[in-house]
Amino acid sequence: MNTPAVSEHRLLRAGEHEAPDPTENSLREAFALLRPRLRPPFSLRTSTPSDYHQLVLAIVYGALTAPPRTARTHLVHLHAVVTDGYDLFTRTVLRLSLESYPRLLQPARAQLLWVISELIGADAVGVDRLVVSLLRWVRIGDFSQPNLWLAEGLLRVLCVRWDWLLEEPSVLTSALFLYLRLLADHYRLASDQKVEALKELEIDFCVRVVRQHFDFCMGMGRDLVRLLQDVAFIPEFRDVWKDLLFEPRVFGVPGYSDIWQLYRTRTPVQYFLLGITPEMETRMRFLFTHVKLGNQRRYQEWFARKFLCRPECETVVVDLVRFICCAHHPPNEILRSNIIPRWAVIGWLLKSCRKNYFAANAKLALFYDWLFFDDKVDSIMNIEPAILLMLHSVPEYVGFTQELMEFLFLLIDHYDVDRKDLIAQGVLKSFDMVVRKGVVQSLDLLSTCSLISPLLKERFNVFIHGSKPEAVRDLYLSSDVKTLGGPKKSASCEKTGFSHVKGLVDHLRATMTQAGSNNLQTLGRLLVTFAKLDKQAIDKELGGNSSTI
Amino acid sequence: MASTSVCQMMMLLKDIVPSAANSVNTKFILLEKGNIKASKKCVVVNGVNKLQETKECMSLVADESASVHFLLWNTECEAFEPGDIVQLTNGIFSYHRNKLVLRSGRKGKAEKVGEFTMLFVEKPNMSDVQWQVNESDAKKLKESITSTELQKPPS
Repeated sequence: MNTPAVSEHRLLRAGEHEAPDPTENSLREAFALLRPRLRPPFSLRTSTPSDYHQLVLAIVYGALTAPPRTARTHLVHLHAVVTDGYDLFTRTVLRLSLESYPRLLQPARAQLLWVISELIGADAVGVDRLVVSLLRWVRIGDFSQPNLWLAEGLLRVLCVRWDWLLEEPSVLTSALFLYLRLLADHYRLASDQKVEALKELEIDFCVRVVRQHFDFCMGMGRDLVRLLQDVAFIPEFRDVWKDLLFEPRVFGVPGYSDIWQLYRTRTPVQYFLLGITPEMETRMRFLFTHVKLGNQRRYQEWFARKFLCRPECETVVVDLVRFICCAHHPPNEILRSNIIPRWAVIGWLLKSCRKNYFAANAKLALFYDWLFFDDKVDSIMNIEPAILLMLHSVPEYVGFTQELMEFLFLLIDHYDVDRKDLIAQGVLKSFDMVVRKGVVQSLDLLSTCSLISPLLKERFNVFIHGSKPEAVRDLYLSSDVKTLGGPKKSASCEKTGFSHVKGLVDHLRATMTQAGSNNLQTLGRLLVTFAKLDKQAIDKELGGNSSTI
Repeated sequence: MASTSVCQMMMLLKDIVPSAANSVNTKFILLEKGNIKASKKCVVVNGVNKLQETKECMSLVADESASVHFLLWNTECEAFEPGDIVQLTNGIFSYHRNKLVLRSGRKGKAEKVGEFTMLFVEKPNMSDVQWQVNESDAKKLKESITSTELQKPPS
């Protein structure tokens, strides 16, 4: 039987029908056993490893469950007896955090934040991992009080321990990633007072890190741009965003001169774990490792009921998609098996978004690595789900395939207008790579399927086959020339550009004098516009007759 | 007191047989919950008339071998949700109002040990198995196995 005093200290929520937690049990047993030794005066004699082990477990339990004043005594005790740089203590707390944070009672959570701050102060081994584990427990799309409390509490600890944070670029940038992400939602979706203080803290923190420590931020890669873009509408970020696009040197990092350098840096996998909690990660990985295609219905229902139950929760779909594409790459045995593939889960997630805003962001998340794909830097596993989703949606969900195709073209044209060609190259490389590496047999379905709109198919063909951005779109023009019944003009680029255009203009002029249809005149005007790129030369060639066309 | 740390023979759902003994130790995941039905009963406790409220809720549970109807009782009704992984000790598999159900019963205990991460099959459903007991040597014969989806009780 536990002594009454010990049973008053609770660590985890324990319902009548919840099995006791083994970790909590071992902590509580150690605490009960060594209780008398936890009061001053503390014995400083060296103990055996197993004795030390038990003592540390007991102190963990005491520090998290005792009232603050007593908890402080426990930590003083720890400082006095520690022999391993706090390694065992930190690892134990880390395990507790990863396994059981959702069940931790609120007072224990408050103690946990305080313990972390103390551990940072003591420069404890492994405290960086502990901090990151708590960053992960802040749930995106959850505006409940406990979650907001954690977000704010953790940020306050980091701000107090700023000097330490600057020596841990990995933690600093992880925190930046999370709070930028949260800010977008806190600014757009949370309208009441309870988030005001938190928003201010987040803005100050993020602007400070980006402005003063951009050298650390560069390693975050392209998803940093995605996150900053989402907060660019916030007044304090407008200048940051402008500078990022137009005045990169303002950030004071030698060698950084253009946003393209960020785009082409692949975001390291660790950041994608920040967007989803350890609970979500466990479930997702279980799905992709064990559940057969066809058996996923109930698992998806349970996942949705737990994590996507309220409208504002849909915002986390973006982070789920990024996680699935970038942080979970199934091994070949799984790819070859009948385990549910990633594209199927992503399809379900995208379709479950009721608001266009979240759906659009989720599609951007799906295609983001396509826009900047470089096979020297990027992994084909990041782009594989998107193409498989597009192809497998035919014919049953062909409307969805069209939606995705349209969205992709929208991105190419509008994501970064100044760098449109580079983005087009990235997407072309992606299409090329998925065929070359055998992810798909061919892309024919997208260009020939009768269920896809002709306009979209044409756009796709033009995009794929006009491989040199500066070349004339020969295929488009020569196919029309064919319909005029005129001589076939080859689509090859063997002739020089100019003589080729001249030949087309001659032919067109001849044909148009025979038929005066509007279409031909439009075509003619198009051609002339192109030719006007070097109007003087053409004028000379055509003897000044170009204006007659 | 039933203790989950005591090493007891765990069985798969496909191997449970109807019995009056509370000897079923198994682990399953909860697939679906029906409606909670509350009823009040007048009982005599220490010579005093008392109104006792009981709650019942039929559910569908399963493991990798089979599924079965599990009758949640009183506090169990609210304690478990679909997706929960439950460990049952000293449960009983018997007829209750003409339906063959698994339940913890008076001497058994159901405890949540996890969520989500368990594979399952929905067929066969052990509650739909027709049992026949051979009187001469008390051997059971499985007559036929039919599977039906959980029928939600009319509200």
